[in-house]
Amino acid sequence: MTEDERRAYEEQDGREGVERRDFLKILGGSFAAMASGCDLHAPREKIVPYARQIEGQTPGLARWYASTCAGCAAACGVLVKSRDGRPIKMEGNPDHPLSRGGLCARGQATVLDLYDSERLKNPLSAGAAASWASLDAGVEKALAEAKRQGRKVRVLSQTVPSPALDAAVAEFCARHGAERVIYDEPSFAAILEAHRLTRGRAVLPRYRFENARAIASFDADFLGAWLSPVEFTKSWSARRKPDGKMSWHAQFESRMSVTGANADLRAAVKPSDMLATVVELSRLVAERLGRAAPAHVAGKTPVAHEVLRRTAEALAAAHGEALVVSGSSDSAVQRAVNGLNETLGAYGRTVDVAHPSYQRRGETGALDRLIAEMERGEVGALIVFEANPCYDHSRAEAFTAALAKVGALVSLTQRRDETATHAAFVATTPHALETWGDARPAAGVHSLVQPLIEPLYDSRSIIESLLAWSGQAVTAHDYVRGQWLKTVYPRHKGGGSFDAFWDQALERGVVSIDAPAEAHGALRAEALSGLKSARAAAAAGEFELDAYASVAMFDGRQANNPWLQELPDPVTKVTWGNVALFSPADAKRLGVEDGRMVRLSAGTRAIDLPACVQPGQADGVVAAALGYGRPSAGPIAANLPTRKLLPIEVDPPGGADIFPLASGSALSVAVLEQTSALARTQLMDSLTEPFTGRERPIIQEASLEEYRKLAPAEGVPENEAGMWPKHDYKGHKWGMAINLTSCTGCAGCVVACTAENNVPVVGKAEVRKSREMHWIRLDRYYGGDEPETNPTVAFQPMLCQHCDDAPCETVCPVAATTHSTEGLNMQVYNRCVGTRYCANNCPYKVRRFNWFDYAHDDLTQNMVLNPDVTVRTRGVMEKCSFCVQRINSAKFQAAEDGRAVVDGDVTPACAQSCPADAIVFGDMNDPKSRVARTARENHSFRVLEELGVGPSVFYGIKVRNAQVRKS
Amino acid sequence: MSEHAVSTLRRPLIDGGKDYARVSEDVCSPIERGPTSAWYYSIAASSTVLMIGVFLVVDQIWTGIGTWGLNKTVGWAFDITNFVFWVGIGHAGTLISAILFLFRQRWRTSVNRSAEAMTLFAVMCAGVFPLIHMGRPWLAYWVFPYPNTMGPLWVNFRSPLLWDVFAISTYFTVSAIFWYMGLLPDLALVAERANGWRRKIFRAVSLGWDGSMRTWTHYEALYLLLAGLATPLVLSVHTIVSFDFATAVLPGWHTTIFPPYFVDGAIFSGFAMVMTLMIIARKVMNFEEYITLRHIDAMCKITLATGMILTLGYCTELFFAWYGSNPYERFTFLNRLFGPYRWCYYTMFLCNAFIPQALWSKRVRTTPWLVFIISICINIGMWLERFNIIVISLHRDFLPSSWTMYHPTYIEVGTLCGSFGLFFTAFLLFCRVLPMIAISEVKGVLHYARRPEEGAHGH
Repeated sequence: MTEDERRAYEEQDGREGVERRDFLKILGGSFAAMASGCDLHAPREKIVPYARQIEGQTPGLARWYASTCAGCAAACGVLVKSRDGRPIKMEGNPDHPLSRGGLCARGQATVLDLYDSERLKNPLSAGAAASWASLDAGVEKALAEAKRQGRKVRVLSQTVPSPALDAAVAEFCARHGAERVIYDEPSFAAILEAHRLTRGRAVLPRYRFENARAIASFDADFLGAWLSPVEFTKSWSARRKPDGKMSWHAQFESRMSVTGANADLRAAVKPSDMLATVVELSRLVAERLGRAAPAHVAGKTPVAHEVLRRTAEALAAAHGEALVVSGSSDSAVQRAVNGLNETLGAYGRTVDVAHPSYQRRGETGALDRLIAEMERGEVGALIVFEANPCYDHSRAEAFTAALAKVGALVSLTQRRDETATHAAFVATTPHALETWGDARPAAGVHSLVQPLIEPLYDSRSIIESLLAWSGQAVTAHDYVRGQWLKTVYPRHKGGGSFDAFWDQALERGVVSIDAPAEAHGALRAEALSGLKSARAAAAAGEFELDAYASVAMFDGRQANNPWLQELPDPVTKVTWGNVALFSPADAKRLGVEDGRMVRLSAGTRAIDLPACVQPGQADGVVAAALGYGRPSAGPIAANLPTRKLLPIEVDPPGGADIFPLASGSALSVAVLEQTSALARTQLMDSLTEPFTGRERPIIQEASLEEYRKLAPAEGVPENEAGMWPKHDYKGHKWGMAINLTSCTGCAGCVVACTAENNVPVVGKAEVRKSREMHWIRLDRYYGGDEPETNPTVAFQPMLCQHCDDAPCETVCPVAATTHSTEGLNMQVYNRCVGTRYCANNCPYKVRRFNWFDYAHDDLTQNMVLNPDVTVRTRGVMEKCSFCVQRINSAKFQAAEDGRAVVDGDVTPACAQSCPADAIVFGDMNDPKSRVARTARENHSFRVLEELGVGPSVFYGIKVRNAQVRKS
Repeated sequence: MSEHAVSTLRRPLIDGGKDYARVSEDVCSPIERGPTSAWYYSIAASSTVLMIGVFLVVDQIWTGIGTWGLNKTVGWAFDITNFVFWVGIGHAGTLISAILFLFRQRWRTSVNRSAEAMTLFAVMCAGVFPLIHMGRPWLAYWVFPYPNTMGPLWVNFRSPLLWDVFAISTYFTVSAIFWYMGLLPDLALVAERANGWRRKIFRAVSLGWDGSMRTWTHYEALYLLLAGLATPLVLSVHTIVSFDFATAVLPGWHTTIFPPYFVDGAIFSGFAMVMTLMIIARKVMNFEEYITLRHIDAMCKITLATGMILTLGYCTELFFAWYGSNPYERFTFLNRLFGPYRWCYYTMFLCNAFIPQALWSKRVRTTPWLVFIISICINIGMWLERFNIIVISLHRDFLPSSWTMYHPTYIEVGTLCGSFGLFFTAFLLFCRVLPMIAISEVKGVLHYARRPEEGAHGH
């Protein structure tokens, strides 16, 4: 965003002097300014009731539709909640064979992208609003012009695992002699290339963590943002059961990732040392299995021999059930990993190349070749969809420069993003909740995308646009249906008519068919010799860059999403912008502390970021998240100042664009004079008290050996002390069990809760003041013997504990927080006068106060609000309600069905979305309920049990498959 | 005149050989003559500060409590600190007028009127903060158990905040009545001396005081009763305020020492504030012969004694944090000593425990400017004591993940200043319109330790 645009937004904001601090008010301002020219298809409200009821539609009752998440190419299955014609929440589809009911934070936040008032309202031609007819004519002319000049037509996108879209692209390409270019950033091309070299086919295997007893990961953040995190979290956590078979997991990585935080053994390794580490590990494994040692490579691994020996032993012992993955973009590392997987007998068991994944298809050099063509002036027309190549890869600058020599750039996009601003024609596309489509994330898994709402703005799906430019006027629905008739239906086993099949597919959202195994050759040993690391070690005093896709921001495509901007990174706990992460030793050497600005430069490119010290990071590495600092994403991404009365609150734009530096060369770091306070939600990282050195028993941990020696758990912890008479919970007594061994800290629950409970977003300045509003947070603590160089990490979801003798209930002067007969601690918003005494007296500090009237004047965005949950006003306290609205609707449903509420009827938003199935909710009074059993059997503990407040949340002891220090 | 035995150990309470007429003249003159330029300057300054405070409060109510520096972890800071501070200040007045009256400390007559006025103004200042600290102050009346159609929906009688509501409102009511009762004879006197509308007003507000024996008898009986009634309130108010903290679960708050500790601290700070005001007033209003060095000396002794008790309280707190077995409480006190707010704790200790030790010296006690400086230090120290209890306990409580820092905004600092503006403006108006020394009571002690022939020439 330029200075002028920023100023324009501020002027629209137009509130000098005393004003509310509504962060999104800016959006409201801009929305109001555009309202005259905007055609908004909100569900039309009728003042008189329907004369005849719409079939299957009851006002006020939610309906659920199965669809596919379009947040990234992982294409997880979703169930979308629709209330009175508006999609308001995304949840995982339990029937989907990959995501199995889980959904990540970004996926859940895509529903807010639908209601982003910064989306383009109509197609653009040369930057001005245009009709579809004139746009189509313009594009046809440009294509004809390219043909006349003999210049090439190229179609550029990131991976979209949609067979229907592929078919439409193929028709377009056939018609215009065009060629399709696919790239991915962060790139998976190295895996594809490694398989081409070692197996003869460029294939992305499907990793089967559920079959893995021992896992070694080299810089693959598969529980965070790598490839298909929901699927991997589901299958990884399924094998993390201390009572059954518990897998063992080693992580070798340069920064501290969510995955590394969950590993049993973790070593910090620079990217340039990765190859030597994999090869050394392969040598040790081969030694143990009596195989030929791999070819020697230059360089020596810095990892302690003991660590590699233990890893090799664990992997070798799990032969056939071992899995090695790597997120490296270096084909040599990936080839070495393939060799190691072959040695371990992983192919066919934990690494499936016969039924591969289609979630990434971008191959090495494809984009570079396109840029070279563009620079040579050979490209007459460039169609871009589902990609933002002027921003989202390391050569974006070269790409943008080369656009000058491209005849016409056609951008199919929802927003005026960096690429659209350069495009001659912008064909506005609908959100995934407004259109038809399909997905095939892995062989044999086909899912549908179905619209839940009439497009809010004048848009046309990518399929329709491409077909229109191929001379076909087909709707996306008809086209997808036709494709399924041709490709999916014949291979479907169920029989029956296509109409019935289609209806069933729509209802379930996903269809599994038997895909024929794809042939692949045996390992080619020659591809494993002469490996040479593509990443040179940085010179002394220089740093290697780890530019990573973060859990919240990924590649920045959702940068204007306030839920994600305010989502704390699970590890760093930083919101609203990226930071330059340094190891503690490097930070000390450079003399930087949290918030000190540093300039990272490589060649002529330099960016400034605030520093942040990250325990467990490799020395000599600076890590920074991708996706921030987008110039054209919108006011949220730009983090505009919202309150001009207080000069201290004017913030710099949130984060900086790290893509230009991401090509892998060494960086030099200069420490600047300025500081920029981090907007961090957790400032204290350790359970060890200062001054006393005492470790607070907030999280109980055990190694697997210790856990197995524990006496069988008997019963649930109960309150013994206490002056209050015991409550007599006659009916239900709601409780929650959270398994700390399963919880990976992925933060999916945080966004789930935000969406379900209308939790307000407060903005960077407020987060800096420790005023974030999240009802559930993930406390992250570092511990272990080496808390700086290699800490053990524990995540603890923290939410209202619904204490039996809640300290908050006694202190409220107006009885605005009361105890229900079912053990819920209830907050009565309209009775609250806002003394905050309850929050002060809460030992868990889970209560959140509405310091201002937050952000509810963007009318478009308000459409996402859950009508079942009150939107709180200024001056009242709020907190987790155990999703009381869901409890009540389950009761109504049960009453309607004439039965009692049974176990499983109530699932709070956090438990529903959890990809690790770490959260169980239910009735503690029912001894057979899942929650009662889990609390009873899992060696549960309650946080701050000794206070005698009687919390209703039971935490399952955190078990590590390694010797851990006793707390 | 008969021979009147006078102990050589006793010193007159009032200097300057006053007679009754002189006393009336001296005390009434400031309200009968036009105010001095010093008064105008003072009221200009204090009302300006008050107006700034009013503006900031309006802004804060208009915009939201978010204009303060509070956060998810520290839910109270300046607001409740100021509240407890001002309630504490409000203790000296009733203590002087009621308890010292019951103990027959006759020197109190020179200072009780203004000390009581100070009490009222301090409680008014205190009352502002619980009101404006609410997220929705326009609903503040919900904290009263009034009959309503919402069920009826009652208040939560288990909440110490509710107990505060009753304690403070009772204290304010009784103090106000006590003060007004004491004013009646003087109001009648002022009415006698005045003409025109002033006479009418003062006549009316003196409630038909006629100075008869009967009136005096009733008056003295009532005064004694009210003194008896007010005495337990002095102890109860701050005891109940301390329950806000003592009944909470938070380490650093959850402690049984708080009731006596708070009451003592309140008296300590109250006397410090009385001395601050009196040392200025006796100079500016020319009351040095009424509020003599011996008065200051006596108040210094009380201050010293209460200060020593308070120091004992601080040490006991530390001792039990160490001796007790609650690791959270131990940490809280270590955090006060060595944590990021340690300078607040050290300053408090310096101001409340060490600096008042200078009052052991009689020379210090009888040097008004030194006493003035010490009293200001005590005021600062006592404010910090409440800040320490509230903020340092909150900012690092049970779960380290929530630990954070609190930094006040200019709105909070300005509101604190504004409360001083309110206090001084009210006090200056009081000096202007009402006799700030209890004339009738001073006349009663005029002969104390004086031979009858000294002074008292005609009445």
